[in-house]
Amino acid sequence: MSETGRMAIELQVNGSRQPALAAPHETLLTVLRERLGLTGTKRGCNQGVCGACTVLIDGEPMRACLSLALACTGRAIETVEGLGDGLRLSPVQQALVDKGATQCGFCTPGMAIALTALLRRDPAPDAEDVREAISGHLCRCSGYVKIIEAGLAASRRNEAP
Amino acid sequence: MQFVEPETVEEVVAALAADPTSRCLAGGATLVAMMNADLVEPGGLVSLRRVPQLATLTVEVDGTAVIGAMARHAAVARFDGFRGAQRIVRAAAARIGHPAVRNMGTIGGSICHADPSADYPTAITAAAATIDIAGPSGSRQLAAADFFVDWFETALEPGELVTAVRLPADLPLAGVHYEKFTRADGDFATVSVAAVVSITDGLCEAVRVAVGGAAERPVRDPEAEAALVGAPLSPAGLAALGEALQGRCNPIDDVRASAAYRLALVPRLVARAVTAAARDAEQQEGQNS
Repeated sequence: MSETGRMAIELQVNGSRQPALAAPHETLLTVLRERLGLTGTKRGCNQGVCGACTVLIDGEPMRACLSLALACTGRAIETVEGLGDGLRLSPVQQALVDKGATQCGFCTPGMAIALTALLRRDPAPDAEDVREAISGHLCRCSGYVKIIEAGLAASRRNEAP
Repeated sequence: MQFVEPETVEEVVAALAADPTSRCLAGGATLVAMMNADLVEPGGLVSLRRVPQLATLTVEVDGTAVIGAMARHAAVARFDGFRGAQRIVRAAAARIGHPAVRNMGTIGGSICHADPSADYPTAITAAAATIDIAGPSGSRQLAAADFFVDWFETALEPGELVTAVRLPADLPLAGVHYEKFTRADGDFATVSVAAVVSITDGLCEAVRVAVGGAAERPVRDPEAEAALVGAPLSPAGLAALGEALQGRCNPIDDVRASAAYRLALVPRLVARAVTAAARDAEQQEGQNS
């Protein structure tokens, strides 16, 4: 343990091992943003309510602001930075762009993560499934309709037969 | 602040005893939110995530469903081993928060926080659950009715932790319904009602109804419940039960509703919940005949 109370840990983020320092009370969100430079994951309420900090932990959407970094060792963490391959956006990200589903953009990374988790589990969801998946994600611009359209556009349901 | 990750219940108990200012960390959905808001500053954290015994979700030979304290809401919401009255807990789990919260939060964390507006305390009270507790002086069990003591207060002694919640199989054909009133989806309940109803040959055989969000802890009225047994359910009977429960409630004014509004909700939601549970009981009977 260092003088600041931080401990050396290793996190598995977007498929690569990342050494980091984290104090016991520090959240995964803090470590992602302030130690690893992954600022795509947003800090909104820091209370688990707004959904902007949602990441995938072992494949399931969870709140990075409610996850202590020390309790995330040994788990696979995926952030919005890991969705595309560095050259191309993921189908969900592309659909969000194509549908104009980003207004201020603050909720977009969380929405992209939630929709990605949904489509991995259910490649052909209906609008109700998409609504359920993004419930708990607040869009302050209230642009939910286009986000739902993007979720449907990215689904297999929308592919040409 | 110390952070430890023991691997057995005994080690957890020892860690809690070693530092009385430390707290158990389950899913973090509430504790970390409170830490972020500077409402609580534990001297140390004892993470429960590496204790395999706490993560189980099983049905024993006698039909008792045993939900490990670290079972996530999402896991309980999709567990298909519950029968009859036990399904009230599954119904409530599916209504907690939103998907990401259900992937994190645990039943042990929820009931130990003992927010009377949360979904689990009300549901496990209607399920007549028993709580398994481990601590420095060994293990003990408490009925849900004795576990919840006051607003955000349980009967846990310092150094103790909940290890599991046991749901009896006493009403294997009961119908259930969880009626949750909220202004915003995924919020804590303004008032909620968990109803368990067993019907045989058109007559009410057993009823258990718990009201949440309207008092310092879940409210039941076993006498008023017993008055419904042995007869067909009737609007007058439901009204009497609703009125009796309302009389035992002690709600507060808060951001979600006034106390008077909550009181007005109680008999209405009780009637709705019991009626829906009776309908569910008929469907259960249909499937088993």
